[in-house]
Amino acid sequence: MSSATWLLTRRTLIQFPRNPMVLGFSVAPVLMMFLVFGALFEAVKQLPGFPTDNYFEYLAPAAVLMTTVPGIANSAVGLATDIQSRYLHKLLTLPVSIGSIMAGRLLADGARLFVQAGAVLLLAIALGAQVASGFAGALLMLLIGALFGIVTFGVLTANLALKTKDPQAVQAIFPMAFLLIFLTTAYQTDEQVPSGVLRAVISVNPTEYVLQAMRDLMLTGFDWGSIGLAFAVIGGLTLIGLPLTIRNYRSIYS
Amino acid sequence: MPGDPIQHLLGPTVGNGARGEGDAIVVERLEKRYPNGMEAVRGISFCVRAGEVFGLLGPNGAGKSTTMGILGTLVRPTSGRAIVAGHDVAKAPHLVRRRIGFAMQEVGLDALATGRELVVLHARLHGLSRREAARRAALVLDLVGIGDAASRRMSEYSGGMRRRVDLASALVHLPPVLFLDEPTEGLDPHGRAAIWDATERLNDELGMTVVLTTHYMEEADRLCERVAIVDRGRIVVEGTPQQLKRTLGAPDAVTLEDVYLHTTGRTLEVAA
Repeated sequence: MSSATWLLTRRTLIQFPRNPMVLGFSVAPVLMMFLVFGALFEAVKQLPGFPTDNYFEYLAPAAVLMTTVPGIANSAVGLATDIQSRYLHKLLTLPVSIGSIMAGRLLADGARLFVQAGAVLLLAIALGAQVASGFAGALLMLLIGALFGIVTFGVLTANLALKTKDPQAVQAIFPMAFLLIFLTTAYQTDEQVPSGVLRAVISVNPTEYVLQAMRDLMLTGFDWGSIGLAFAVIGGLTLIGLPLTIRNYRSIYS
Repeated sequence: MPGDPIQHLLGPTVGNGARGEGDAIVVERLEKRYPNGMEAVRGISFCVRAGEVFGLLGPNGAGKSTTMGILGTLVRPTSGRAIVAGHDVAKAPHLVRRRIGFAMQEVGLDALATGRELVVLHARLHGLSRREAARRAALVLDLVGIGDAASRRMSEYSGGMRRRVDLASALVHLPPVLFLDEPTEGLDPHGRAAIWDATERLNDELGMTVVLTTHYMEEADRLCERVAIVDRGRIVVEGTPQQLKRTLGAPDAVTLEDVYLHTTGRTLEVAA
């Protein structure tokens, strides 16, 4: 990591506690949803073929994604705020590359998401869930969740911020993140999804493949095939999103 | 910090400026046309000598800020050439950025940071060590009169304080060339005097080349060794304030505002 990237990462990390509302509100709804959904759908575990007898165990990977995917959008809100206040322009007059500015923010927000998603996972463990792949698998699950959040919703909202320069426009798109997760087997297994159309939609949703790898880590252990597929999805989305984001960042120069 | 901030800034060195050693800025036939077709700059040319305070005068919308944006590497020129501190702004913007400070018209500051944190961060991004960044930050914040409020978050600062912190962040690395875009716009007399005093001392004692834009003729008269009056994207007249005023009569009886009126046919207020 370059020194400029670290300095800009540190800047964002230092400022997180100064905005406790953002920290709290980006994780509190997920914790509540986790508890409510866990109670509401608990009976699902009694259906034949359900892979675990603890529904929180099944739900935990989806809850991690519900933390990381919408949570990364706060990074774009920060970016839009920097553009609107023209602080980004100030940074662009310094000997700092656009890559360092982007990486500085993403690394700090990635670390935040890692910790927040870790808190969700700890809640699941407190409710009796176990991580079959152990501590290393739990870390890998959090890493996959954080990376997927960055390359999907992170890229989408960053580009929205760069185009609109408006934090409110970025906030308006938050509910889209939940669509990405709801259209998966987050709450019930593939066999339990009633509609064939819905199953077809789920099968083309990249979130499903990432969720599958995370769920394998949670329920069965290290399945390198599904882990590899998750990283392939993340890599593919990076190849699409990164050049687009860099191009839009450069458009800040008029 | 006790004592004179400028003397502490100077330390054992004699500053970064190189008064009288050639041109710090060379601008040749610079043009900027925005995608919407607006021609903000139409063939501007001028030179600024090292160690000089040079002013671009004119109303809002004259093209001053776009010219500053080009020189500060934020705006890409459509054509023409600009050399700042020995480097082409279009071909080597990263090298230009190492040698300039830019205090912006619309102050872009980080509301969640304290004044000290912001200035230290900028010093570190310019490659200063942690200790030297802290030392310089304290000195420049004192210089602009923000030393006592340096630990407060900038969301609590007034507009004038934000401008002064912006100036501090622009000069913490002692750049050879300092750009000040409308540095006293919207400031009260106290804030304006603080900026004027700091600018004069940076130039006098550190030999810093300063380019400023303003539509306050009094400011230009006090600070600038030479000025260029910009109107509708073009420089209409250039010279020392005394030379320009002399074209209309006795310098004591004529103001730069009169010169503007004479050269453009409009008052500044009408033009704005």
